[in-house]
Amino acid sequence: MKHTSSPRRILAAGACALAALLLAGCGPSSESSGPGGQGDSGQGKVLLIGFAQVGAESAWRTAETRSIMEEAVKRGLDLNFADAQGKQENQIKAVRLFIAQGVDAIILAPVVETGWEPVLQEAKRAGIPVVLVDRGIKVADESLFATLIASDFVAEGRMAAEWLATKTGGTASIVELQGTPGAAPAIDRKKGFADALTSGMKIIASQSGDFRRTGGKEVMEALLKVHPNLTAVYAHNDDMALGAIQALEEAGKKPGTDVLVVSIDGVKDAFEAMVAGKLNGTVECNPLLGPLALDAVLKAVQGETLPKRTIVPDRLFTMDMAAAELPNRKY
Amino acid sequence: MNRWLNHRTLPLLATFGVLVILYGVASMRYEGFFTGRVMANLFADNAVLGICAIGMTFVILSGGIDLSIGSVVAFTAVLVASLVGPGGWHPVPAMGLAIVLGGLFGLGQGWLIHYFALPPFLVTLGGMFFARGMAFVVTKESVGIHHSFYDMLLSMHLGLGGRATLPATALIFLLVLVVAVGVSHFTTFGRNVYALGGNPESARLMGLPVAGTRVGVYALNGVCSALAGVVNTLYTGSGNPAMGMGLELDAIAAVVIGGTLLAGGVGFVEGTLLGVLIFGTIHSALLFDGRLNSWWLRIAIGTLLLLFILLQKEITRRATAQARPGT
Amino acid sequence: MSGSTPNKTEPAARRDGGASVPAGRARDAAWRRVLWPLLSLGVLLLFNLFFAPGFFHLEIKDGHLYGTLVDILNQGSKTMLLAIGMTLVIASGGVDLSVGSIMAIAGAAAAILVTQAAWPFLLVVGVCLALCALIGAGNGALVALLGMQPIVATLILMVAGRGVAMLLTDGQIITFDRPAFVFLGNGHFLGVPFTATIVATVLALTTLLTRRTAVGLFLEATGDNETASRFCGVPTRAIKVLVYAFSGTCAGVAGLIAASNIKAADPSRVGEMMELDAIFAVVVGGTALTGGRFTLAGSVIGALLIQTLTTTMYNLGMPPAIAPVPKAVVVVLACLLQSDKLRSGLRIRRTRGGAA
Repeated sequence: MKHTSSPRRILAAGACALAALLLAGCGPSSESSGPGGQGDSGQGKVLLIGFAQVGAESAWRTAETRSIMEEAVKRGLDLNFADAQGKQENQIKAVRLFIAQGVDAIILAPVVETGWEPVLQEAKRAGIPVVLVDRGIKVADESLFATLIASDFVAEGRMAAEWLATKTGGTASIVELQGTPGAAPAIDRKKGFADALTSGMKIIASQSGDFRRTGGKEVMEALLKVHPNLTAVYAHNDDMALGAIQALEEAGKKPGTDVLVVSIDGVKDAFEAMVAGKLNGTVECNPLLGPLALDAVLKAVQGETLPKRTIVPDRLFTMDMAAAELPNRKY
Repeated sequence: MNRWLNHRTLPLLATFGVLVILYGVASMRYEGFFTGRVMANLFADNAVLGICAIGMTFVILSGGIDLSIGSVVAFTAVLVASLVGPGGWHPVPAMGLAIVLGGLFGLGQGWLIHYFALPPFLVTLGGMFFARGMAFVVTKESVGIHHSFYDMLLSMHLGLGGRATLPATALIFLLVLVVAVGVSHFTTFGRNVYALGGNPESARLMGLPVAGTRVGVYALNGVCSALAGVVNTLYTGSGNPAMGMGLELDAIAAVVIGGTLLAGGVGFVEGTLLGVLIFGTIHSALLFDGRLNSWWLRIAIGTLLLLFILLQKEITRRATAQARPGT
Repeated sequence: MSGSTPNKTEPAARRDGGASVPAGRARDAAWRRVLWPLLSLGVLLLFNLFFAPGFFHLEIKDGHLYGTLVDILNQGSKTMLLAIGMTLVIASGGVDLSVGSIMAIAGAAAAILVTQAAWPFLLVVGVCLALCALIGAGNGALVALLGMQPIVATLILMVAGRGVAMLLTDGQIITFDRPAFVFLGNGHFLGVPFTATIVATVLALTTLLTRRTAVGLFLEATGDNETASRFCGVPTRAIKVLVYAFSGTCAGVAGLIAASNIKAADPSRVGEMMELDAIFAVVVGGTALTGGRFTLAGSVIGALLIQTLTTTMYNLGMPPAIAPVPKAVVVVLACLLQSDKLRSGLRIRRTRGGAA
């Protein structure tokens, strides 16, 4: 130890300097450093909004974040963004921090359905309206949030099932790739699909691919060994479908023709897969919720009562529509 | 050196200094950071991590390590949630059962580690897998809790003046902290833990109850993790089997930042408190900034971890060199 | 391949509980260490023979082998590579928790270089692996030169590394189409998946490096007793930096394969928890966590064991969330089997006096 004392001392000094620099230099200094006054959001003052997002785990999610952030800039609002890295504890922490900062409103995209009562009660006590985006929550007291702006996941599942029924004439052996267990979209899309199935359509296997491409591919590979005679694949999101398509190709099957593949989200990669003839259909789930979310926020801050649910309409896109629609896809 | 400023306490003081600097810089940069509310939030938001880290401190002081705490927290949380919600139990016996199970689980791990001389890293790794799997066996999705007892607990607040309050979660954390400080400084068990971590062979030769201490430390950690799971149900009002992933590594980070050596025998529970507060301050500061994406958060935490450890090493090295001139 | 050095006399007192044994017996002891993981694998395969129809079904499709066994080989390749690198790190007395994050960085860097910079693929591979080796060497420097505990040093990179990977891709999943890159993880060579070829090559190279040069000897010495080795003139610090750099490189290869598998780089989730699987594989394979003697073959078998376990559970329809439970049982059983105390307890009858 004794022969490295000098470099270590320099290292320690540098460490202190770096730590100070890191904190001082965090982020660009053009925007206001931190929140405006606490709680005195009077007229003419820039509104401060806290946005607690799930994470940055997919292109869809990042598109949703960008949409809301850009819209906030457009309207001249201050947005504090918190990324929870997929953990509910982090989201709760962020919301409590927003309350402590004295934000004027909170936008929350809840990662799971349960567990929000304590923190939403705190927000209510502080008089801060909460707008939910993208996913719903299970609460006994609906006054805890101002409104929910989301797609109707149950309807999305139903649309997929109905399309599949018309395309296959009512008979199919379907493998279902579910989303993350406990996530509202996964639960609802499963329900909507199952409810709309006709008697000849059977789900022969259903497992979670966790909304990820890798998950979709691995689960598909394993299920192909056990159920080689499947005729259709229903994936809760495009990423899993794209992984499943790879697995099908490697097994020597032709996705799109031998095996019908339908999924939900409507990301650009899905459209490209449709143009290539590998994906049969995708139900759009629009992540560009910025305008609607901020409309709701502004109204809530003014004290208006809003309808509990604002449903973002979805459309089904099929293979033949893909090429024409591709240039319009923004996410 | 004197009683208060020797090579053992110096790292602790250094960590405290770092916390003060960190909080100070953040307060200067972000308006509203230097408020009672934010400080109180540090305790409430990091209660789960804090209780786990306190239990982990004892394990690390004894020379071991426990990777299973995140999974045990998740398991106890879903157990309590499932018993109270769908099961219809009253929360108090549910929490009691969960804590007892946590203690037994830790006891089992400690037993395997001591009586078969198995490496703690691996046994607790197995424990982590086991507890996580069992949490998903109990329920695949998160379960909400609605009970008047919980409502009562959640409405308990200790006002600190202004808008700062300490909710039940923070109070439990502080209680555990006080008990832990008492145990580590004023009981035989605490002394045995330090002795065991310092040199297991010497401890054995001195006639200290090595078996009891080692097994006890893991049982204690199990109880702490289970308690943290209960606190988590208070924090989120539900039990989620997927929560707590990576919590053990955060706890280890907090313990290490607090000045406890992973080799064992050196460190203080108070240091762990400081470590948890530093963790929380960094997280809060980055959230206050409001512009950083999740990846910057990870990079920042990793970098700061590195810097703090180097800083502490340097201070300890200098202090030890001064204490032993002519090395 | 196993931990034997036939031309050296063993020191009298050994940490892993045997009295001095002549060279031939050492090789037997090494075989015995690999025996247990082999047996466990055998038991698992036997279970599948009876309870999983079609598990052993193999056919030729498009000119290559196709079947569950092939899948296990293919999907297990990443864990096998990580385990090979991890074996050397553990042998040096340390551990590397950052391999998952290094995988993420490698995949992200390769995806970007291939799509945005349009570099030739071999150059991309070379640059990525060199980058990972450098990062690994950084870990090694923290451990060897600054004296940090390996868990803490690699924990730092584990946390920060994923952030760096996401920074590279700006949080997006980057897809690519380059045929050479896609071939890496999905192609077939001589009828078996190309990944198997990669693993075999890395394994062969590592065995050559450790058994045909002094590196293996120095490594075992460093892990066994670092102070004594240093006084003997063994370059312990260089060895430590080397093994972490090597582990980083192995993680880099695994990361390239992972990205190639889905034709995309997914920095937020790739390699999650794989460091624990790798450690698990190494330990189950027979290398002790305390360092010293190591067995590469054992680690590879350990990795195959994990993958077989996972695939078995998929086939049985068990939700993957519950998969950790049998893994836990296997870990504890493996530790128990390796435990000296248990073995000495069971060998009370044998009067050779070989127990610790």
